[in-house]
Amino acid sequence: MKILLVDDEVELVSAMAERLSLRGMDADWTDSGEKALAMAKTCRYDLAVLDMKMPKLSGLELKHKLTTLCPDMKFIFLSGHGSESDFKAGCAEATCYLIKPVRLEELIAKIDEAGR
Amino acid sequence: MNNASPDNREGVRFFGTVSASVSHEVKNVLAVVNEAAGLLEDFTVMAERGMPIDPARLKRAAQSIQGQVRRGDTIIKNMNAFAHSADAPEAGEDHETDLAETLRLAVNLFTRMADMRQVSLALGEVTPAMSRASGFDVIHLLHGVIGAAFAAMSAGDALTVSLTGRDKGATFTLSVPGRSVAPPGDAEFTALARRLGASAETDENGALAVTLAR
Repeated sequence: MKILLVDDEVELVSAMAERLSLRGMDADWTDSGEKALAMAKTCRYDLAVLDMKMPKLSGLELKHKLTTLCPDMKFIFLSGHGSESDFKAGCAEATCYLIKPVRLEELIAKIDEAGR
Repeated sequence: MNNASPDNREGVRFFGTVSASVSHEVKNVLAVVNEAAGLLEDFTVMAERGMPIDPARLKRAAQSIQGQVRRGDTIIKNMNAFAHSADAPEAGEDHETDLAETLRLAVNLFTRMADMRQVSLALGEVTPAMSRASGFDVIHLLHGVIGAAFAAMSAGDALTVSLTGRDKGATFTLSVPGRSVAPPGDAEFTALARRLGASAETDENGALAVTLAR
């Protein structure tokens, strides 16, 4: 399974990708929605892990654009916010919605679930 | 809360908006620390299994944690100063607010708002100025004008806020190269400005001058 991680916190998203890679997972990362769209045009990703709150393109907006490019792509949302409206929107649009800080084991379990 | 005056309700709402933004920043700090610490743990497990670890990778993860601790400390100091602006003694004859310090705090607090809009917010020239308005109200007022300026800006634009002290008050000047900055038109800002005796108007260069009586 090819995974794309997108978060504007570079140190967070790069460390998360490195930790997934150490566990044998194929994960690329980027820090903006625009770059994610460019990457998705040149590489087929099965799943994207998106931060909900990012400058310019939010996680939800990016999800809609990525879905247009790759209709089969699955999504997991991450957020620092635990607001009810974000939670409802995130749950309605993605396989799951995790609140930061995320336990990697939990993220991996959700990735596995999405891949089934 | 239902018995609160409209001024109080707006103030509480503003306090909530800023607190929510700060809490989001703190969450991000914790999330980065969590990943960097997790990475160090992964390296430890690898070392226990006899796998070679590049010391530079360990150093990078440790530096990331240290950097985030500094970032978190700054965020919390700003939040603490903001919280105390609300519980400070009422400004008046015996107590005045340092507007230069208050503007610096406001710029620090609202930088994330700028980042989310992909614009920049910077402090311009600042001269000493005092006011009898409360620090909390001044930050609230600045939030109104800065927020309205952001709403009219495009990605890449830069907003600079300067402060000029005067005998009978002070003027905050908001300028964006190539753009005219308009005052907010909402009722909340109008009521707050009226209460503080503040005026906001765009000058001939397109900069917004917000003048506060001492």
